[in-house]
Amino acid sequence: MLASPPSTRRVFFVVAATVAALGLAVVFGLVIGPTSISTSRILGNVFSYVGIGHSTLTSLQSSIVWQLRAPRMVLGLLAGAMLAVAGGTYQGVFRNPLADPYLLGVAAGAGLGATLAIVNIAHGSSVPTWTPVLAFVGAMVAVVLTWVIGGRSLRSTPATLVLAGVAISALFTSAQTFLQQQSSTQSIARVYIWLLGSLSNANWRSVVIVLPYVVVCGAVCVLAGRALDVMSVGDDEARSLGLSVSTLRLVVVAASSLGTAAIVSVVGLIGFVGIIVPHITRLLVGTSYRRILPISVVFGAAFLVLCDTVARTVMAPSELPLGVVTAVIGAPVFVVILSVRRMGTP
Amino acid sequence: MVHLDNVSLRAGSTTLVRDVNLDVAAGSWCTIIGPNGAGKTTLVAAIAGLRSPSHGSVSIDGQPLAELHERERARLVAYVPQHPEIPAGMAVEEYVALGRVAFHGVLRAPSAHDREVVAGVLERLELADFRGRDSTSLSGGERQRMVLARALAQATKVVVLDEPTTGLDVRHQMDILEQLKTEVAECGLTVIATLHDLTLAGLFTDRLVLLSRGVVVVDGLAHDVIRSPQLEASYGTSLRVVNVDGSDVVVPVRAEFSRPGTAAHRLAP
Repeated sequence: MLASPPSTRRVFFVVAATVAALGLAVVFGLVIGPTSISTSRILGNVFSYVGIGHSTLTSLQSSIVWQLRAPRMVLGLLAGAMLAVAGGTYQGVFRNPLADPYLLGVAAGAGLGATLAIVNIAHGSSVPTWTPVLAFVGAMVAVVLTWVIGGRSLRSTPATLVLAGVAISALFTSAQTFLQQQSSTQSIARVYIWLLGSLSNANWRSVVIVLPYVVVCGAVCVLAGRALDVMSVGDDEARSLGLSVSTLRLVVVAASSLGTAAIVSVVGLIGFVGIIVPHITRLLVGTSYRRILPISVVFGAAFLVLCDTVARTVMAPSELPLGVVTAVIGAPVFVVILSVRRMGTP
Repeated sequence: MVHLDNVSLRAGSTTLVRDVNLDVAAGSWCTIIGPNGAGKTTLVAAIAGLRSPSHGSVSIDGQPLAELHERERARLVAYVPQHPEIPAGMAVEEYVALGRVAFHGVLRAPSAHDREVVAGVLERLELADFRGRDSTSLSGGERQRMVLARALAQATKVVVLDEPTTGLDVRHQMDILEQLKTEVAECGLTVIATLHDLTLAGLFTDRLVLLSRGVVVVDGLAHDVIRSPQLEASYGTSLRVVNVDGSDVVVPVRAEFSRPGTAAHRLAP
């Protein structure tokens, strides 16, 4: 943890570095892939849309860039931004550094919904179209149940909500395991692929579906930064300072869960982003959620697209599960930053 | 100013505070004393609007707290808990500025006036030099001053403090209480506090309310309450009151030294 409040210069540097990483991620997302297309030709194609020069891309290359890579990159940006800001928000609202966007059962609910779709509806098709819908419904059912059980009293503590989330997650996961046990080996494999998360099925339609959720829910989370700073003194003190803690908790949990459910229903369960990105941001810019949340949006977006670039290139033409890459890249980075900060702390 | 009308507070089936009636005048200091488990913390939490009475009502300036929104209530009464949570990495100035949230809200940054109020409070409590320091790096005394500064930044007419001198040495206890006394005398602040130290309670307070098992046993001037026979009975131990340079000092007496058949809390010659 940052020992003292960060200087303006440090925050500026971190913001600049994060924005640069985002730019790099966008370029990598468009340029890198099994088919070699140079950066200059892609840039020429981009500029041709605004009347500067003319495109030298063939129609096939243009399709690869704009129908395959671009929607995948944009969906990665949206997923990374939402998961990171939801994780940071959860950590603030529950005052629990181990909180992630799946804390209240989103992952288990979505997992059960997706498994239901794959096992019972798929009938041999590779990715049933009902999967995102059932995953979203499952995620929201799990969160609502958690809230009803753990938070029905306005005075319920964050701990009761977290415990209810643990119980609901265990219940939904056991139901999912039972379904998997009853299904074919082929279905089990498809369920696992979904559980590990992937952007490989991204298209503009999926981007359009999740965009409003990410924009609205992400904005609510970012705007909650100042309120989460007030909540860092505890529920009673925050109330004495004029904060309506129960209302804030409801709004923030609803926004985080809804945004996460929308993302998870489309890209599956991508782990680690929601916990590690806010943590790394906190180590760099201090403990204020006014800084952590907006920077996490940009950092999370860049982080996930860069991880996806690695996932789809290191073993091309096959892909690594995205959740594996986020963990393999994120964990060492986190450890290094933590060590550097500790060494710098008197 | 502060009016408690037949206030009772329960936790499950247990009654923690029963039928408390209290009127605290504006610009005065009322301290609630009593043994552990008497219900002091529960009662002050209700006065701060953080616990709803199971019966009766608490009102400030004629406004029932139960009917007020959190922001409205925070402009009427500030609260200093016994064990405040100090967030790591938050600068002292940022921490004190939390006291202005009820004015600018959680979606807006503090206004110029809010910053002015915070700067004034930091100056008044001699915390200006620490404004950029991490709030967790302060000593116990400085930290308690910072928490008091946050409460004063709320610019309320009433401040409720639960054991504000816990964990402080004598000098820092005196510093905090002197600061509060100054606020009462110069700014017309109304203070309602709980204190375990009976000597300090008698030294700084206009009025003492002795609470025992959730019931008000004695309510009156500090000088009278300290000498009341109910004090010793409530605490369940022998006490003497000694006059030192015109101030009452309450001294506990070990059982083997107390004289049988005499009231232990007796003014020494």
